[in-house]
Amino acid sequence: MPPPVRIFFGDGPGFESLAELQTDSGPCSRVRTAPVQVLPQTQSLLCGAGPRSLRCLWRGWRGLSSQGGVMNVFDRSMKRRQKQWASSLLDSDKYDYLRDEVGSRLADRVYDVSRSLPDIVERLFLTDISDSSLRNRKKCEMPTQCVLADEEFLPFKENTFDLALSSLSLHWINDLPGALRQIHQVLKPDGVFIGAMVGGETLYELRCSLQLAELEREGGFAPHISPYTAVTDLGNLLGRAGFNMLTVDIDEVQVHYPGMLEVMRDLQGMGESNCAWNRKSLLHRDTILAAAAIYKEMYGNEDGSVPATFQILYMIGWKPHESQAKPAKRGSANVSFADLSKISKFPTDPQKS
Amino acid sequence: MSSSNVWSRSRARMRLFPELLAQCSGEAAAYGKCVASTTTGKQELTKNMCVKEFEALKSCFQSAAKKGVK
Repeated sequence: MPPPVRIFFGDGPGFESLAELQTDSGPCSRVRTAPVQVLPQTQSLLCGAGPRSLRCLWRGWRGLSSQGGVMNVFDRSMKRRQKQWASSLLDSDKYDYLRDEVGSRLADRVYDVSRSLPDIVERLFLTDISDSSLRNRKKCEMPTQCVLADEEFLPFKENTFDLALSSLSLHWINDLPGALRQIHQVLKPDGVFIGAMVGGETLYELRCSLQLAELEREGGFAPHISPYTAVTDLGNLLGRAGFNMLTVDIDEVQVHYPGMLEVMRDLQGMGESNCAWNRKSLLHRDTILAAAAIYKEMYGNEDGSVPATFQILYMIGWKPHESQAKPAKRGSANVSFADLSKISKFPTDPQKS
Repeated sequence: MSSSNVWSRSRARMRLFPELLAQCSGEAAAYGKCVASTTTGKQELTKNMCVKEFEALKSCFQSAAKKGVK
C-alpha cells in the first residue's frame, strides 16, 4: 500500500479544478531533464495586438538583483480586504473564468508529474489570506483542511508535504524569494512545487492606455498596474530558493472585453485590484474617458471589443533528493559529439550489419 | 437600495459609462488616433497635446449623459 500523500494548496478559489484529480490516477513519469528548461512560449489565442513598439515609459519590473533586504511593495492587509469584498459579491463566480482556466492547466501539470506522488491524497490544505474566499470554495471529494495563512509566513513544519501548488497568488507577495524558500522548506525531499503566477507583459494594454491618457491629460503618470516578475528572473528565483530541475514556461491568455471599464470591473471582481503602496487613490474622470478612448483605438478589434492579455508563468521545481538525476561528472563522457555525423543509417537491415 | 452611499452612487454612474462612450465613438476614435500618432512620431507626448479632440469627446460625452438622465 503506497504511503498516502499530503498536498498543500497555496491559494483559495480556482483550485476547484484540481478536484478532478482522481485518487486512482496511475503514475506517469515526466521526463526529467537538465537544470533549467525554458519551454517555448505558447499562445492560446492569437494576439493581434497593435504596436508593441510604442514608448511605454514605465515598466515596473520586479527587480531582484541588487536590492538586498525585503521589498515592501504591496499592502497585504488591503489585499485581504479586497479579496474579502470580492468573495462576498453575490455573483463572484462570474469572475472566476481566469482562475478556472489557469487552475485546469495547473491540474494538467500535476497529472503529468506524478512520478513520486502516491495515488491516494491523504489531506489537502487550502490556504488563503482571506477567510471568505476559503468559505466560498467548491466542494470536493478529497479530505480538505482550510488554513488561514499568509504566503510569506507559512504555518507549517518542515518536510511535511509531497506537493505544493500555487495558482495566481504569487504576484501579490512582497518577499517572493523568501516565500519560495518557505515553500521549499515545507516540502519533503523529492517533493515538488508547481505554481502559476501572472507575470511578464500582463495587462500591458491597460497599463499603456492609462499611462498615455495620464500623460496627455495630467502631464505625468503614476503606476496603476503592479510590477510583474519577468520569466527570466523566475528561473533565478527558484534556483536560489533551492529548487532543482526547474521547468518554467509562459502561456498567454487573451480575454476580450467590450471596453476598458469592463476590464477594470472584472479585475476588481476577481479581487485583483491594485494594492501597491504607491498606488494613486484617485483616477480622474477625464483620464478614464481618455484612457478608454485610447484603449479602443490602439488595441481594439474589428468587432469593437478590446483584448486584455494575461501572461501566465508556470513553474515546476523539485526539492533535492539523492534519487534525482545529477549532472554527469566532468570528464566522464565516452562518446564524442563528432560521432554524431557517423549516425547516418538506421541499423534495421539485417544484411548490412 | 439598502444603503445609498457615495460608493454605490459612483458605481451606478460608472455603469452608464460604456453606453455613453459608445454614442461618441467617432470623437473617441479621433482622440485615440491623435494620441497614438504621438507614440510613433518623434515628439514626446506632453500635456494637452490633443486637447481639441479631447474637448470634443468630453462635450459629446456630457451631452449624451444629459440625454440619458431625462
